[in-house]
This record gives sequence, structure tokens and C-alpha cells, in this order.
Amino acid sequence: MAELAGVFASSHAPLVIRGWKDISAPNQQSLKHAYDELGRRMKAARPDVIVEISPDHWVNFFINNLPAICVGVGEEHEGPGEPWMKECPYKAIAGHPKLATHIAQVAFEHDFEPAVSHRLILDHGFAIPLWKGGFDLLPPIVPIIFNDLEPPLPTVRRCLAWGAMLAEAIRSYPESIRVAVLATGGLSHSIGEPTMGEIDEAFDRECLRHFEGGDERSLVDFLNERLPTIGNGAAEVRNWVAAHGAAGKRGFELIDYCNVPEVYVGCGFASWNLGARP
Amino acid sequence: MRDYWLSKLFFDLQSTPALGAEYRADRAKVLDRYPLKPEVRAAVDKDDVAFLAARVNPYLLRFYFVVCGMPEGEFLSKVRNAGADAAARSSHG
Repeated sequence: MAELAGVFASSHAPLVIRGWKDISAPNQQSLKHAYDELGRRMKAARPDVIVEISPDHWVNFFINNLPAICVGVGEEHEGPGEPWMKECPYKAIAGHPKLATHIAQVAFEHDFEPAVSHRLILDHGFAIPLWKGGFDLLPPIVPIIFNDLEPPLPTVRRCLAWGAMLAEAIRSYPESIRVAVLATGGLSHSIGEPTMGEIDEAFDRECLRHFEGGDERSLVDFLNERLPTIGNGAAEVRNWVAAHGAAGKRGFELIDYCNVPEVYVGCGFASWNLGARP
Repeated sequence: MRDYWLSKLFFDLQSTPALGAEYRADRAKVLDRYPLKPEVRAAVDKDDVAFLAARVNPYLLRFYFVVCGMPEGEFLSKVRNAGADAAARSSHG
């Protein structure tokens, strides 16, 4: 059986790439340290496959066809196509059709109905954490797209349940492989709204405390209450919630939190200690 | 509220670099291919951020003005004022 080798989460602010030179030296250092440590922990987990949960930033889907959740089941996916990501080394990205199809099948058996795609474009949301984390060569990726951008969005409660189902799917996969889960996005930011550029550090800190606390009800209640009141980018915390569900809702360890006004994002980095007691 | 063809225009421009270049060179030629309502086309012509913001996903709005080459500071200023503009228009019917 496959093993859940690690669960991780990371922000993916585009300006970390296309605005790097405009970031202050101390903030560059903080971000570099955070991505380095994320990459170190991920590599230490020795994943044969990474299941990565990220939103689609209007690359694969449009409002004429907009899945709430889509599992990439193809043999190969395309690397990011944003012009400012041209230095990214990921051009063609191997998928893992057997694990991906198993995950989709288990999802249906648990009353989730994801869409599937046999070829996705994996945009900056997928690429930045792995690239900045020092993955020169990628293991196969099973991409899972959550719609965090265009309402109506999946509920926080269902994202948590999705994560629990995902862990069960990984552990029931009948090959001896190590699988890591990486969720990307968040924390607070606002894109294309009147609040664009604002970072709500108080929200971010409280959100992180709820992950650390591990109480499901208080995490869900907090996010249900606060997500509608802050910038749209924080909706991507849903992906962290799924990772939290995959980790069994315990063992959250903050790698770092960097409030970086130059990139408009409260940047969070985390891993889950899967050996933590319930 | 989402204006479908405005959204489609923005989506196409940000996902197809060659179309973005064509748009920057000849905006009218590209706009003619999209069945935009007259008031929407006028808002596009005027870079009326507040009007457009009420009709598309905010990320597409952001990406569109990056494609257009609007300076970051100008976009931030306009989008931050968009909320106030929208409220003013609403209160004036």
C-alpha cells in the first residue's frame, strides 16, 4: 500500500517571481528561508509522487465550464505558461495516471464528484512552491484544482472532508509508493478588488492558530465567518484546509509566516507532523 | 454579476500572448470580434475600471490591465477607488 509521506502547504505569490528585485533584502531573506525549509522538509519525505492542490488562475477553466474540483489524471501536464514564468524549468510535467484515477474513483465512492482532466496546464500556483523549494527535477505530480476564485466556491467543511478522503485514497492505493500532499495558496491577499494590496495579518495569525489548535469546529466556524469579509485571495486557504484534513486534523507546524507588502500576500509555509497524537 | 463576453475577452487576452500583442497594437480590431454591449465597449475604451470591476472576476480584471500595460500604481489607484465609484453610481441610480 502507498504511504502518506508528508503534508505541506505554501503560498504562491506571483510577485515572488516577477517582482523579486523590488522586495526588500530582509523580506527576500525571509521568503528564501521559508521556501528553502519547505523544500528541505518535502525532500526529506522522499516522495515518489506529489499530490498538489492549487487553484486555477484562469488558465484551464472559464465561466462556461468551471469545475469545483478537478483531478488531473493524465500522463503529462504542461508547465506554467505565464510570460513571467518563462525561466521556470518545468515545461512538461509527468502525471501519475494510476494514482490520480484511483483518487478520483475513491472520491466518487465517498460521494464526491470531481471533474477529471487528462491534460492540465499547471500555472504559477502549482509551480512556484516547488521551484522556489529547490525541486530542479520533479517527481510525478497529481494535480488537483480547487475552484478558489470564482463563486460559488466549495465549502470549507467539504474541503476538510476532501482532504480526509484524499488521505484514505492514498493509503488504499495498492502500490508501495511514498506520496506527499502539497496545498498552495493564501494566506490573506486581495486581487483586483478595492482592497488590493492589503494583507490582514491578524486574520492570518488567527487562521494559523486554528490550524495549530486542531479543533475542527472552531477552524470551520472561523473561516466561514471571516473568509467572506476579507480579500478574495484568502479563499485559497481552502486548499490548506484540505491538507489539514489529509493530515488527520493534527500536527500542524508553522514553518514561517512572512507579511510581505511588496508581493501583496501574507505568505505562509507549513508542514504537518503525521506522527502527532490526536 | 458576470458579463459573459467581457469576461471572455479578458480571459482570451490573458491566456493568449499573441492576442494580447494584437490588442495593444489595435484594440478596436480585437474588440470587433466580441459582441459587447455598447456601454460595456465604451467602458473598455475608457479604461473605466469601476464599471468593468462590477462585471468580471477580479483576477481577470487584474490580468487584463497587466496585458494592457497599465502601470501598477495607476491600476492600484483605480481599483481602490472602484468601490467608492460603484457606491456613488448606485446611490445616484
